[in-house]
Amino acid sequence: MKPASFVYHRPGTLDEALALLAEHGGDAKPLAGGQSLIPAMNFRLARPAILIDLDRVRELAFITTGPDGLRLGAMARQREVERSPLAARAAPLLHETLPFIAHPQIRNRGTIGGSIAHADPAAELPAVALALDARLHLRRADGARWVAAAEFFTGLFQTALTPGELLVEITVPAPAARSGWAFEEVARRHGDYALVGVAAVVTLGAQGRCERASVALLSVGDGPVLAAQAAGLLAGQVPSSALIRAAADAAATRDIDPPGDIHASPAYRRRLAGVLTRRALTRALDRAQTA
Amino acid sequence: MIVDGAFTLQGPRGVVWDLLHDPDVLVKTLPGGERLIRGADDTYEGVMRVGVGPVTAAEFSVTVKLRDKVPPERLHMDVDGKGGIGFTRGTAAVELVEQAGGATLMKYRAELLVGGRIAAVGQRLLDAAARHMTRLGLEALNRELQRRLAGGGAP
Repeated sequence: MKPASFVYHRPGTLDEALALLAEHGGDAKPLAGGQSLIPAMNFRLARPAILIDLDRVRELAFITTGPDGLRLGAMARQREVERSPLAARAAPLLHETLPFIAHPQIRNRGTIGGSIAHADPAAELPAVALALDARLHLRRADGARWVAAAEFFTGLFQTALTPGELLVEITVPAPAARSGWAFEEVARRHGDYALVGVAAVVTLGAQGRCERASVALLSVGDGPVLAAQAAGLLAGQVPSSALIRAAADAAATRDIDPPGDIHASPAYRRRLAGVLTRRALTRALDRAQTA
Repeated sequence: MIVDGAFTLQGPRGVVWDLLHDPDVLVKTLPGGERLIRGADDTYEGVMRVGVGPVTAAEFSVTVKLRDKVPPERLHMDVDGKGGIGFTRGTAAVELVEQAGGATLMKYRAELLVGGRIAAVGQRLLDAAARHMTRLGLEALNRELQRRLAGGGAP
């Protein structure tokens, strides 16, 4: 349980970190909280030649709001965001979801950006970023770009990040008026990787019609999966329990093709996805109706 | 672990069958394939470098033996792979079905046993990783098929 040898850098500023990434490219791995990377290194499954520890890059640890919504520095700790009243008001779905991530000890170290850049298909934050239509700021020594969450997650542990690039900020748009949200997941024990999870956001418009619905699932594919068919069924319709059931069915049968493992077969994951989507949509719509 | 599915290859069955026996093509379609040589008795031996996500690409030596062949319809493979971070053993059945318009549907079903550190630590991800690599391999095979059909015969 000791890692293979590696070269360790601990930059104090973002510019230094970006310069190190530019110099070492794909050989270097940013260390953002270490709650996934370090265990993988200790098992010697991950053997990065160079680690760039972002712990001292305090300028990336911010939690603030702006005209675009909630702005989270990539190095904001999950626990800090969970306990931030500002974040709770500006992104209630995120606030509801954070306690589902592993355990408090892990959230004390784990960062928002670290989890999103890692892109584990069973992780909560990528799915929430997708459901909330978050925008991600990627920087490199000689440039910067914004990427929508829907374009960021590209495959199994794969993201739009290229060698030399670093995720520096996550911006979550402010919730629309008359919107509701909910997060649901099932894990064998609290803190285990979820067998299936669902993040839902709905916005109601004139005459109580569903203006927009966004449903993202985790642990059912290569990455977080946006349930487009389910959302399409809801859009423009007056919500009812029959409609919610139809959307949940669509999510379970048409939007996902879940893998199996020793804890849950593909069929069981589908079943869970349907039940959890129904529950999440029901709660989200209740919240939107009373908003 | 069972990996099964079907994939449509845009080319005639006979050409697909030949490609499946060509080590120079297969090495390019195996994800992380580094070298592959054809030995006696339809046995192929090679080296792949496989890494998914946080797992740094690690070397595996792989032996595949083809058996029970019914050209150009079906074959079985015995697969044996070993590497520093784990091993895999198992069998795969491949069936090629002619489709309208000159395409070929490949049906496959592999039953694989995965062991070692990678299985102990990464169990929950093996299925997703296997599917991911299968898809990469089949897409690459289809690309090689298009090259072959376009006249780029020699790889």
